[in-house]
Amino acid sequence: MTSQYRWGMVVDLDRCTGCGACVVACQAENNVAICGKKEISEGRNMHWLRIERFWVGQYPDVRARFLPVLCQHCHDAPCEPVCPVYASYHNPDGLNGQVYNRCVGTRYCGNNCPYAVRVFNFYNHEWPNPLDNQLSPDMTVRTRGVMEKCTFCIQRIRRAKEDAKSENRTIRDGEIQPACAQTCPTDALVFGNMADPRSRVAILSRSPRRFRLLEHLGTHPSICYLKGGGREHV
Amino acid sequence: MKRRTFLQLGTVIAAGAVLDGCRSKNEQLIPYLIPPDEGITPGKGTYYASSCNACPAGCGILVRVSEGRAKKIEGNPEHPINRGKLCARGQAVVQELYHPDRVPHPLKRNGPRGSGAFTRISWQEGIGLLTDRLKALQREQSTNGLALLTPHLRGTLAELTGRFMRTFGSTNHVSYELLTPDLLRIAARRSFGQPTLPYYDIAETRYLLSFGADFVDSHLSPVKYGSAFGEMRQGRDTVRGHFTYVGGRMSLTAASADRWMPAKPGSEGTLALGIARLILAESLYDSGALAMNGLEAKKLLAALDRYDLPRVAQLSGLPQGAIAEVAREFASTRPALALAGEMVAFQSNGPESVRAVHLLNLLVGSLNRPGGIYPDAGSPSGPENSFAELIALIETMRGGHVKVAMIHGDPLYSVPPATGFHDALAKVPFIVSFSSLLDDTALHADLVLPDHAALESWGDVIPVAGTREPLVGLMQPVVEPLFDTRQFPEVLLATAHELGGRMAAALPDESYLELLKGAVRKQAGFGAGVDFEAAWVDLLQHGGLFKTKSVQPTGYRWSSDAPPPLPEDPDFAGDQKTYPFHLIAYPATAFYDGRGAPYPWLQQLPDPMTTVVWGSWVEINPETAAEHGIGFGDLVEVSSPQGTLRLPAVVYPGIRPDMVAIPLGQGHRGMGRYAQGQGVNPLALVARQGTKQQPAWNATRVRITRISGNGELVTAGHPQGSLRSELVEI
Ligand code: SF4
Ligand code: SF4
Repeated sequence: MTSQYRWGMVVDLDRCTGCGACVVACQAENNVAICGKKEISEGRNMHWLRIERFWVGQYPDVRARFLPVLCQHCHDAPCEPVCPVYASYHNPDGLNGQVYNRCVGTRYCGNNCPYAVRVFNFYNHEWPNPLDNQLSPDMTVRTRGVMEKCTFCIQRIRRAKEDAKSENRTIRDGEIQPACAQTCPTDALVFGNMADPRSRVAILSRSPRRFRLLEHLGTHPSICYLKGGGREHV
Repeated sequence: MKRRTFLQLGTVIAAGAVLDGCRSKNEQLIPYLIPPDEGITPGKGTYYASSCNACPAGCGILVRVSEGRAKKIEGNPEHPINRGKLCARGQAVVQELYHPDRVPHPLKRNGPRGSGAFTRISWQEGIGLLTDRLKALQREQSTNGLALLTPHLRGTLAELTGRFMRTFGSTNHVSYELLTPDLLRIAARRSFGQPTLPYYDIAETRYLLSFGADFVDSHLSPVKYGSAFGEMRQGRDTVRGHFTYVGGRMSLTAASADRWMPAKPGSEGTLALGIARLILAESLYDSGALAMNGLEAKKLLAALDRYDLPRVAQLSGLPQGAIAEVAREFASTRPALALAGEMVAFQSNGPESVRAVHLLNLLVGSLNRPGGIYPDAGSPSGPENSFAELIALIETMRGGHVKVAMIHGDPLYSVPPATGFHDALAKVPFIVSFSSLLDDTALHADLVLPDHAALESWGDVIPVAGTREPLVGLMQPVVEPLFDTRQFPEVLLATAHELGGRMAAALPDESYLELLKGAVRKQAGFGAGVDFEAAWVDLLQHGGLFKTKSVQPTGYRWSSDAPPPLPEDPDFAGDQKTYPFHLIAYPATAFYDGRGAPYPWLQQLPDPMTTVVWGSWVEINPETAAEHGIGFGDLVEVSSPQGTLRLPAVVYPGIRPDMVAIPLGQGHRGMGRYAQGQGVNPLALVARQGTKQQPAWNATRVRITRISGNGELVTAGHPQGSLRSELVEI
């Protein structure tokens, strides 16, 4: 199966300010569960996208660095071959899919993911009425025992594909924006088709500042990071 | 499809599907039209344009509605402030609408104040109770016994509340909020003779020097300036703007800086003058700019004589070399831009320190120039001494002269107890709250007349700053009201109507919507030939009036009678021996001044700098923590001359050893299940400075003591970050 799309993202760390807008946008778009204090203290936060913060150096020569981490949609994804029921699969566009109603909750995939971006529903989550009104009809609400993770907002990709098909054209560059990229005030996140060398992501991913997360593991992520600044960078 | 047909179709569908059985036929929903060439497809569903009122920035939003329910909020790509982007708080506005603890109908108190015991009453009864009290005041000819306290209002609502109070005959009308830019306006008035806030052209600058202005998390217009910051860094082919941050605590904004200068609190103005003096002494200034502003380098240099490098280095606690380097870089990289923010303004010498920063912009020729500062057109004027007005109101209340207090917002939470507000309010026999959650103030109210959520409301949202073109954002209801609530201005109109006489004559409008339309019509300056109803629909569809006829403010020019800025030595409450640390209470990224706390998404959002969730913490320098035997997550007691709090410690490498910092926004007594009982409110520690009528919230000293090893701190990430930074190469 081939596809003319290979979805990818560029995360420009020189733009990212660590503000967290993307984290909430993702949670809002994808019906990601609200987790209380206890659950998070057990290490069971459900966010699909997190901002890692690193301290580098010591006072007064100290710097903080931010790194948005989401599913890297690896082309050689360690999570896929270990799933006994093929809930974690690779789709023709290069996306790392997750079929919720196939998942039996072995958590092998989560265990194998070096980026720790897969989150497991250890509990059934609630949206006390009327908070449940905010749940998006585009997404299932995952139940206890199911693994979930970032999908690059596949519902938006699907819709754009349908639109494009009905108009007999291909998807335009910038037509799809995952919720995180859409809201990011600094434009640190750019999404698009890596297979099109003229797309904005493809151009940015050729920047000399590029690197991939834990590149040495050979996972071949679809996400390309651009190195952040600091005085050494000017 | 033509815009016209789409619009008609959309209106019909929306009115039929969503607002079935709605009270007024005026309340038609006008869907946003996504222009096909805009390059976004945010998914289908119907989008409605409105405005965010979760902070004074006033960003434009699009709300995705399906089956009559608001699902997701996105930025309005057409809105000049935020251009399709939103902050975390803006995303969470939908949780205001669907909060499970909203006050669903009017309430009357039936237990002791603060107990939270209320009985349900009807709107008729509620407005009746209020008007009875007001009529009694009119009968006794003591109309000044009415007080109205709100956050800063702009636009039609400000006009309406003003008219209400004036006609009623009361001067006790105070608009106050904790993070008010009053002091920035005072400084601008002293320097430039106009109270206009600065508009920063960050996107075009090459050297950004911020003195405590946290422009990506809270200062004036975070989305606007966050976006401009991204452009400054990587939006231009060959230039990457440099950013230096001055401030004793590394804020979220400071974390993006190339150079962090942890100056002693209160010394920022002195540092700015030290930089100014060096620029003058080394003739690095823009002589044209100086001449244009009627200043003479020689005279100015003489006036700043005291700010020589060694002294400034000593006062600010920074190395001389670094100060000189920054001064030279700032003066030789054009355009350069200096900002001054709340962290500086809320020191005892705040306004003069802010003025010192103005002088820096002047010296490098950055007034009214690309990459520099312009007078902001968002709200060119606004309150300049609301704190003094608040203090006056507190005095009046304490004297027992206020009989009815109408309160919008939550001052019992957001006014520091050191002002005496809490005791004074307790003396008011009748308190009316318009809160939609039982917040700290509503819990003490005698009558709660719950307001609509923002997504159920009409309104105009005028940004406090962040634009060079005046504009009016519009709010429209995007869903049918969930509960039996009423919009605050509607209640004012209904009350005026009930009161009759002069009040009814002065506020004759049928509805707030009519009033709003009238105001917008005036603003837009539509000629006689324009079909206003059609134009109004068009405005709603796009989210506001982005081109107005109002004149832009005139450029900044140094006032001929303005003396050079001379910040006094900073002054702190509490003596250094007993209270060795400076306390900084800063707005948490997720909560702003506390308004974000009720929403679970924001409680769950890890604080960007500490990754703490669901709680408060105190940030302590690692060295200081070690000296006091305090470890990460330990329970610590923080005491000031004003109060004592217990909370967990976060060992924080980005803070001066003589400083501790606590985020604002938590520690609510009420405000629904998600906020209640989470963390502490650092305002309990903040002391007032002598008799000064100035809100120097960052001028308190504290001491810290370790209590135990269990502070119940929960962080989402590892304190150092869960991946090793060498491995990820950042
Ligand atoms: S929204 Fe953008 S700037 Fe903010 S944390 Fe996410 S990627 Fe970074
Ligand atoms: S900056 Fe303020 S107005 Fe803009 S989205 Fe955030 S909370 Fe709303």
